[in-house]
Amino acid sequence: MMASMMLLIPLSLLMLGAAVWAFFWAVDKGQFEDLEQPSRLALEEDQPPNADATTDPPPHS
Amino acid sequence: MSVIPLEGHWASESLGEGHVVFNAEGIHCGNCARSIRKTLGELEGVRRVDVNVVNNRVSVDWDTSKLALGRILGQVSALGFKPVPLVGEAAAQAQQMERRLALKRIGLATLGSTQLMMYTVALYAGALQGIDERIAEYLRWTCLVITTPVLFYSGAPILRGALADLRRRVLGMDVTVSLALLLAFFASSWNTLRHSGEVYFDSVAMFILLLLIGRFVEMRGRHQAAQVTDALAKALPTMAQRIRSDDGVVERVPLAELRIGDLLRVNTGQVIPVDGTLACDSALIDEALLSGEPLPQRHVRHDAIPGGALNAGSALTVRVSRLPGESTLHELVRLLERAQSERPRLGLAAERMASWFVVRIVLLTVLVGVVWQLIDPSRAFPAMLAVLVATCPCALSLATPAAIAAASSRLAKLGVLVMRADAVEGLATVDTVMLDKTGTLTLGSPRITRIDTADGWDATEALRIAAALEAGSQHPLALAFREHQHASWRCEDAREIAGEGIEGTVDGQRWRIGQPGITLTDDRGRHASFEVTDPLREDAIDATAALSALGLRLVLLSGDRHEAVQRVAETLGITSAHAGLKPTDKLQRLRAAQAAGRRVLMLGDGINDGPVLAAANVSMAMGRGSSIAHAAGDLLLLRESLQSLPEAIRVARRTLQIVQQNLRWALIYNLAAVPVAALGFMPPWVAAIGMSASSLLVVMNARRAGALPAGGSVP
Repeated sequence: MMASMMLLIPLSLLMLGAAVWAFFWAVDKGQFEDLEQPSRLALEEDQPPNADATTDPPPHS
Repeated sequence: MSVIPLEGHWASESLGEGHVVFNAEGIHCGNCARSIRKTLGELEGVRRVDVNVVNNRVSVDWDTSKLALGRILGQVSALGFKPVPLVGEAAAQAQQMERRLALKRIGLATLGSTQLMMYTVALYAGALQGIDERIAEYLRWTCLVITTPVLFYSGAPILRGALADLRRRVLGMDVTVSLALLLAFFASSWNTLRHSGEVYFDSVAMFILLLLIGRFVEMRGRHQAAQVTDALAKALPTMAQRIRSDDGVVERVPLAELRIGDLLRVNTGQVIPVDGTLACDSALIDEALLSGEPLPQRHVRHDAIPGGALNAGSALTVRVSRLPGESTLHELVRLLERAQSERPRLGLAAERMASWFVVRIVLLTVLVGVVWQLIDPSRAFPAMLAVLVATCPCALSLATPAAIAAASSRLAKLGVLVMRADAVEGLATVDTVMLDKTGTLTLGSPRITRIDTADGWDATEALRIAAALEAGSQHPLALAFREHQHASWRCEDAREIAGEGIEGTVDGQRWRIGQPGITLTDDRGRHASFEVTDPLREDAIDATAALSALGLRLVLLSGDRHEAVQRVAETLGITSAHAGLKPTDKLQRLRAAQAAGRRVLMLGDGINDGPVLAAANVSMAMGRGSSIAHAAGDLLLLRESLQSLPEAIRVARRTLQIVQQNLRWALIYNLAAVPVAALGFMPPWVAAIGMSASSLLVVMNARRAGALPAGGSVP
């Protein structure tokens, strides 16, 4: 009994550590920044419009 | 002390008066705000300090000859708060950092407390059924190992808040919470070390988790409220396409290099960078961001176009009429920032109540401890802990600011900007609406609706002659003729005869325009008559009907002629209409109504009605285009739609209802929990759940103020 506890509890602590590390990693990677848009991204037909003015065609004047 | 980079966008300055608004991270309660106000207020040269607890904003006006901005920011960071610029990349990054850190803290607390719960169940089961003492001790040590990072990493903002409170010698709600957490943690650790007594590790972790969730919800609300201004501020591009005057070549220049009179090119879908006048024949402009008006509007040459509007049609050219720093959008952002950094009176009352509570809770806790020590020493500690936790007035402090913030962003979506923090409360409690006619119920721009000419005379010619005569006149009706002016028709010796009309020579011929009505005559008896009216806004009828349906008394106050006012009043079904009033008469009427116990909302165009607007209980100004900066009002209606007004009143009433609900709930909960906890019927973990659930309930309830259900009716 005691022997199995000696092994299993440190193991559970290790798993807890792993879970915390994985969660922190995901937060840092921005996984929770936007929970709305990405789910719809696959359904978008067009490329998102390019907001950068430098790619605009030259004016005709 | 951290050194803060000083950049141009931190502050604005004019005539020796500086104005800055920034976020101060770490403000949690009224006491933090009070200490900032006090410290900055004592600096020489500071004229005004406002601190908002809801969105952590600090707004300062100061004399730039006596004080540098660096001193102000330095003082704030010396108090333990981190000043962060509001607008632009840094603010967005600071928000992201804050959000990520909060998520991590919640994540650790969640994982930690679920794990702790399992060990605690084992310990409880063991206590009932018998457990090997070595295993129980092993489990307690494991709990200690898990709780330590939860307390000192996840709980760090709470502990730090308490420390900052103590350093300033004030008692905030963080103090009681931290006291409970530390007492429980160290008592449990001590019991673990000496192998006897209760442990409360699970309660500590759970309390932290629940507190953090409440704060997270509150933080999201705060970030959302800040988004309105940030969206405005971010809308302006940093570069513009200038058309060189000598060779017509288009060059890209930074906004700072623009001068008045420059010709700019704006491509399809781009934002117009500064206020200007349209220099091409027509354009389709989308002002949704500025006014909330959803449909793009057609504009013609010489129309004023506000910076921040979107070019929804083909490429256009615009002539710069104001420098970037003075443009409509900048003024709006500045006004809004000032408004958002003010503290509503309602919130102040709740704050005072909360700090009154803290002192009494600490005293009560000590009393409970002493009494239990005499009766049953083993139950003294859990009872003290329960009292401390269950009675924390967190819900009380959060009840109001969260609701006001939610309502403000809801109102902004209706095109109503809250310029003064008390305006929401004011709007909810008015029972009388006083309306101005010209420019408020009507479009404010008189138009020529009919021309009658004698003997088949050309109407266009008559109109041009009339326009030439009226060109120099200051009469309001002369405005109607302005758009018909033509360069080849000039009047040389226009002479205004008071109450009669204007005489002058146009194209070698004597003309007179004036009474009766507006009639143009010459010596030979040729004549034409013009009908000029100021048309009602399209939705004025619906809006006034909706206001009456809300139980509001409508009063029309106008400086206009009796017949014109009567006609409008009859069309709109307003029974109380007063014509021919001077601004002082309007003020008198308003005061009389207030003296009769009525609470008055004044709706005016914001420019001529200044004093009347200021005297009303709450005022709303029609702020359009370039007039925004001059508008004086607690609320600003940006949309050309009066329909927003009844809607805004509904939102405000609902918000006030929610605030009162919240305060009542927080008070009842705290009063009910104290005796139960003091008598020892409440274990600390139940107290933790109760207190946190109460705060969470209050914050979630507050967010309802931001959402109006479809149909939008309020009992």
